[in-house]
Amino acid sequence: MNRSAFANQGPVTLGFGLLIVLLYVFLLMPLVTIIGASFTSGQLMAFPPEGFSLQWYAEFLGRKNLIDGLLLSLKVGAVTAVVTMAIAMMAALAGQVITGKLGGWFQLGMTLPLLVPELLTAVGLLFFLYKIGLGKTGLGLQIGHILMSFPYAYVSISAAMRPVPRALDEASASLGATGWQTFRLVTLPLVMPGLAMGGIFAFINSFDLYTISLLLKPIGGNTLPLALFDFLTYEFKPTAAAAATISILLSLVGVGLVQKLVGLQRAF
Amino acid sequence: MTRSARMKLWLALPAVALIFVFMILPITNMVEMSFRTPGTSEPFGDDYTAMHYARIFGDGYYWGVLFRSLWTAALVTLLCLIVSYPIAWHLSKAKGMKAVLLYAAIASPLMTGVLVRNFGWMIAAALDGPVNDTLIAMGIIDAPLRLLFTQTLVILALVHVFVPFMVLPINNALRNIPPELSEAAASMGASRVAAFRDVILPLSFPGIQPGVILVYVLAVAAYVTPALLGGQMVTYMPTLIIGELTGTFRWPLGSALAIVLSLSTLGVVLAFTLFTWKWMERARA
Repeated sequence: MNRSAFANQGPVTLGFGLLIVLLYVFLLMPLVTIIGASFTSGQLMAFPPEGFSLQWYAEFLGRKNLIDGLLLSLKVGAVTAVVTMAIAMMAALAGQVITGKLGGWFQLGMTLPLLVPELLTAVGLLFFLYKIGLGKTGLGLQIGHILMSFPYAYVSISAAMRPVPRALDEASASLGATGWQTFRLVTLPLVMPGLAMGGIFAFINSFDLYTISLLLKPIGGNTLPLALFDFLTYEFKPTAAAAATISILLSLVGVGLVQKLVGLQRAF
Repeated sequence: MTRSARMKLWLALPAVALIFVFMILPITNMVEMSFRTPGTSEPFGDDYTAMHYARIFGDGYYWGVLFRSLWTAALVTLLCLIVSYPIAWHLSKAKGMKAVLLYAAIASPLMTGVLVRNFGWMIAAALDGPVNDTLIAMGIIDAPLRLLFTQTLVILALVHVFVPFMVLPINNALRNIPPELSEAAASMGASRVAAFRDVILPLSFPGIQPGVILVYVLAVAAYVTPALLGGQMVTYMPTLIIGELTGTFRWPLGSALAIVLSLSTLGVVLAFTLFTWKWMERARA
């Protein structure tokens, strides 16, 4: 951004430019402070940090509860990504043939977990899983994560499928291809970027979930956000910043991949 | 519909089953749970009663917490709109590499977990942290403010959490406004303020309305932010609900509270939609 360009356009534009800079500072401040604080060579969690060191990353690697949380989050996130990609792909294919008003309702239904507050879904699931014998189990937690992340995968994949002309399917079928061949050789390559993006969104969403994990977690099984909350309640040390930085890096990698795959402007 | 198209419909089965079995059914179940009697050894009893609703409506404490939740969420939504509109406006004008960088700056916090972002505010809002330093440098305050474990910080952090949800729909609505329109208004002698108020703002309403509704619904039910940054001082409905479910194990009362909160939220959203109906119609015309 060029400040002299603002100056040429008078005080209103200059003021607006300053406002925008301040708003972006506000938006990025928590991420920058965490990353900064994680590299401090001092003993206190503070921004700006004192000096530079990797001591808190070493400390983080030695914390069993945080590492276990990280591993559980990675595992649950990976399973969530794979499962949601598969069922969202199938649902998006079905969505192609549902047209008109019904299509709108179908879209709405598929994004329901996104529109209803997480708290409500979490409370409902807590009772339901308890009733069917999955209360406080790893499988119950996994189901909750798949449910909450499904809409992200569905929206990405169905958006990628919209520009694929139906005529391609028909042409492929008229040339003698089976439904599966058409899918594998025609549809899939075309929607691949959207499918990958759906998987990334599902993974990152699962990695970040808090409320649903709090209510459904198995006994002794904390995800990284839960472990981090507990850690922050008892110890306010830069170890937490090191753990959180890993989570931020993951989201930055996600943003980069989405930009490469379909472009941020189209994705959001 | 052809035979192959009908076959394709079956592909939706796993997704429909997932949402029906693990979301619609459980939430319906919760309504039943809210009418159960309190349990003695289990979290709920076998008989049915309306006592939990009677208790909530008869107790000023619950009214107070409900009102605080609805009111705070409204304030958060309003502040969020004020912060987001300039960002969305600026973003909608950006092109090329600059647009990519701005989108990345909005998407990065969006894709970082709420807990992590809230934790960032714990560092930023410390007495000698960057928030106080900035405010002092700008001459707004003389001495550092104690922000941690106050309602102010909870509201600030909630606004931060929801800004991307507001920016993105408004940005999309603004991008759909043909640039000739504001030029036309200007050429007809409208000042920049008048052109904004009479042309741009009404036309961007189709982005504002969904943004406001989404942020309000999410803000009412936000649990992590008050739990981490609010300390024990102020109670909101979600804290109360989770406390009944995981602390005291009074599931029926917890369910009744969740249902009262959901219905009140729905009421506010409906009122807002009806109230702003005319603006939506105007933007469509």
